[in-house]
Amino acid sequence: MEHLPLLEAVDLTKRYEDGALAVDNISFSVHPGEIFAMLGGNGAGKTTTINIFLNFLEPTSGEARIAGIPTHVEPLKAKKHVAFVSENVMLYTNFTALQNLDYFVRLGGKTHYTKDDYRTVLLRVGLQDEAHDKKLREFSKGMRQKCGIAIAILKDAPAILLDEPTSGLDPKSGFEFMQLLESLRNEGKAILMSTHDIFRAKESADTIGIMRQGHLVMQKKRSELSGEDLEKLYMNYMAGINE
Amino acid sequence: MLKLIIEKELRDIIGSTKFAITFSICSVLILLSFYIGVKNYQIAQSQYEASKRANVRQYEGITDWVRVHEYKIFLPPQPLATLVNGISNDIGRTIEVRGRGELRSEDSRYGDDPIFAMFRFLDLDFIFSIVLSLFAILFGYDLINGEKERGTLRLTFSNAVPRGYYVVAKFVGSFLALAVPLLIPILAGILFLPVFNIALTSDEWFKLFLIIVAGMLSIGAFLSLSLSVSAKTERSSTSFLVLLSLWIMTVMIIPRLSVIGADLFVDVPSLDEINSQKSRFMSQVWNEDREKMSAFSPPKTDNMQEVMTAFNKFMQDLADEREKKFNELAARLNEDRMNRQAEQQQLALFFSGISPSALFSLSASEATGTSLRLEQHYLSQAKNYQQQYAAFMKEKTGMNTGGFSMVFRMVSDDNAEKPKPINISELPQFEFAPLSAISGIGYYAGYTGILAAFNLLFFAGAFISFKYYDVR
Repeated sequence: MEHLPLLEAVDLTKRYEDGALAVDNISFSVHPGEIFAMLGGNGAGKTTTINIFLNFLEPTSGEARIAGIPTHVEPLKAKKHVAFVSENVMLYTNFTALQNLDYFVRLGGKTHYTKDDYRTVLLRVGLQDEAHDKKLREFSKGMRQKCGIAIAILKDAPAILLDEPTSGLDPKSGFEFMQLLESLRNEGKAILMSTHDIFRAKESADTIGIMRQGHLVMQKKRSELSGEDLEKLYMNYMAGINE
Repeated sequence: MLKLIIEKELRDIIGSTKFAITFSICSVLILLSFYIGVKNYQIAQSQYEASKRANVRQYEGITDWVRVHEYKIFLPPQPLATLVNGISNDIGRTIEVRGRGELRSEDSRYGDDPIFAMFRFLDLDFIFSIVLSLFAILFGYDLINGEKERGTLRLTFSNAVPRGYYVVAKFVGSFLALAVPLLIPILAGILFLPVFNIALTSDEWFKLFLIIVAGMLSIGAFLSLSLSVSAKTERSSTSFLVLLSLWIMTVMIIPRLSVIGADLFVDVPSLDEINSQKSRFMSQVWNEDREKMSAFSPPKTDNMQEVMTAFNKFMQDLADEREKKFNELAARLNEDRMNRQAEQQQLALFFSGISPSALFSLSASEATGTSLRLEQHYLSQAKNYQQQYAAFMKEKTGMNTGGFSMVFRMVSDDNAEKPKPINISELPQFEFAPLSAISGIGYYAGYTGILAAFNLLFFAGAFISFKYYDVR
């Protein structure tokens, strides 16, 4: 029996007050144990889609659902089922990594963790022991991203939204990050990730969607892409050749 | 969740440089204001005692109560008036009491030491209304938009956090963080008082409590205003500029403009004008009386004592009549001036009611009994004392001293026993009853009520603004 989708966009449209159409009638779904990578250039509508899932924006029409809950109708209920990692994870610089974890994890509704649990997860995401008690102001972007993913892991939500999470990371950190995502996928998480990184998307994603000017112009399973040159395909879509 | 965000807010602020600076400045200023207040109180107390002694000493050796004039009463220093000066340094502390006539207070602290009038004293009023209101803005200007700029707002609201909870927690957390650097030095300052042998009465403790409550409400108003502006603007630099302008308006400009505005609307005759009218009237009455005096015909008798008694009675009757006429005019002029002044004050207070810092000053001065009512209260007590004084002097001299009179003492026997010096301590003592906290509680409640309303209004503004705030 196929699982119900944890993340679902149904005829989702977002038109801003100035008339700009950011997302135009897109539909897709992400099931448990699946990574959905949204590729696209700047202004393609990827971040807007994620913002609608997080109820930072209200859809003009259609729905974004988390665990079947329309986010603009019951945002607080929906957000209990999702964790979020942004392009540039920003945490409280006066706090240590552990203090930040403690705050955001408890904010996410998980209050049973011990400091050891936090340390274990920080080690799992690749943040070494000596950094755990350091204030965030001393952290590099990569280290902050690791903290962000640690928070998402500890929230233990069935769905994860990632907005260009590997942007600005060095290749090694990017690789480790994607390995971590794969392990989360294997634990049954539904992951929706916006990215510019075609190479990593091809490596890890189960489904790839290409967005252009608010449209989801392509959506294919990895199996459907075998043998295809994703980079060329992407460039063609970006140039409007395949439409 | 509320507790969690409040704790985070507290920890975030307490760990910041901003907090360390605020705490240091507040501690220094508050402890300094207590120290200066205590020292001023001690100086004022010793001056008060010295003046009382000098007042009594001037009558040493006097053998006749008729020669007692220029008797002075003094406004005793109040411990809390040194913490919230109000108008206590602006009004005269000394009143020369006569058996009749108008009373005027003289020798104000600022009159004696004009340099202090130039820069005023460092008291809790200054600290709360100027320094802490500014700190409240520094704590609050980036409460919302600062989180957005730092990028933490997105991560926070990716969780199931109700916006209402967040605004409440932001306010409570930053309020508590601001209250700490305030209350700790105040408590330390209070502990100083017994060290300097200053014991507060239960009424004064209550007054101190009322000052702190008003101070908290004032800080709350500035903090909620800052939260509101922060939730309405995208950039912290914008909110800081807006709030700084509002701070200048509410702290520096509105209180002054309200007085100028009230002065434009209500014309109050100056004391000089009134005194000039009184002088004119008095000289007119004097002229009339002089004619009556020249028409005085003594009883046809050889008994000089009888002549003098008749003359004194004649002069006393003239003085009584003159005083009656003068008092009627003075009462009318004074009442008119007081009514207009009261109207002007009410209008000025009404205008200044839109400034939280002015409201704090008004409530704190009401709590400590150093409000505008202090001068009238002192004069009213002095007038009551004047009646006791007049009754006593009449008993001692057979007349109401204070007007013009001539006294002849006839000594018939050089060998008679010399008269004994009077005992000035027989004079009734002037006991000043300070304005109690309860006497001003109505005004205090009014001012703090408006402050509380400002808190609610600004907070509601923040709440509504944040409901529609773009957290991305």
